Amino acid sequence: MAEQKKVFIFDDNTDILELCTFILEDAGYEIKTSSTSNNIIDQVSGYIPDIIFMDNWLPDVGGIEATRELKAHDTLKTIPVIYFSANNDVMSLADQAGADGYLSKPFDIQELENIILKHLPA
Amino acid sequence: MGSCEALIIGGSAGSLDVLLKVLPALRYDLSFPIVIVVHRKYGTDSLLPELLAGKTRLHVKEVDEKERLVAGTIYIAPSDYHTLVEQDRTFSLDYSEKINYSRPAIDVTFQTAAEVYQKKLVCLLLSGSNADGVNGLKSVKSWGGVAAIQDPSTAQVAYMPEQASIHVKIDHFLAIEDMAEFINLLS
Repeated sequence: MAEQKKVFIFDDNTDILELCTFILEDAGYEIKTSSTSNNIIDQVSGYIPDIIFMDNWLPDVGGIEATRELKAHDTLKTIPVIYFSANNDVMSLADQAGADGYLSKPFDIQELENIILKHLPA
Repeated sequence: MGSCEALIIGGSAGSLDVLLKVLPALRYDLSFPIVIVVHRKYGTDSLLPELLAGKTRLHVKEVDEKERLVAGTIYIAPSDYHTLVEQDRTFSLDYSEKINYSRPAIDVTFQTAAEVYQKKLVCLLLSGSNADGVNGLKSVKSWGGVAAIQDPSTAQVAYMPEQASIHVKIDHFLAIEDMAEFINLLS
């Protein structure tokens, strides 16, 4: 059996974290969540996900800065980061952060699964 | 039992896990509508109905303004609106102030449905961390309806059902594994 792909979701909206966890676990992924992007390098290094979802508005550090830190890291920079936000400018925010893709909130299950498949082909 | 014309389920923190366990065991030919009011923030709009729809053969949809309640359908209260049940058994959505720090507020749906369905209403309050739903259950009882809660000892967050058990004469304390059968027998 193929190894479970690991998804790490950063969002301060605990409803999003809970729902995405149930949805993606159902779809066969292993999930870790965090409501803060503080110490982002330590958090991601401790899990080494296959893909990361990063909310724009996170307390303290924020999604843009956290994504930039990841993309400046020697080894973690290769992990795809999907930026997600309810902000109308999500595409431009993702670009500023150096993310690999973006997802506008609210999104549906198909959009969530499709963007993972796009960046993590089976 | 058996004369239920509507079931309203309210919940907050810790209630999604319960719903995901209960919905798959519901019979597909329920003779009444179910309305689910759970506290949630904007940004999750279609995720909750879609997630729950994948767990049951019953039709699941988010509540629309002026929509009529139909038997055998599970309605999900949208985020950021209060969901009211009107005398003509339709929904209305209201963007007024939060109640119990919540919008949707469980109290609003319980109270408005209690006046409409009276003795034919069953309300079930699940796990949660505030007292929303308690006043609603009081209304349900005053109109002759049935008040049920998740047994607080089985709740991830016991506060909400505990408060209901302190302030309302509860008819049924339900463990998670008994909820589906309880609901199926209401039909």
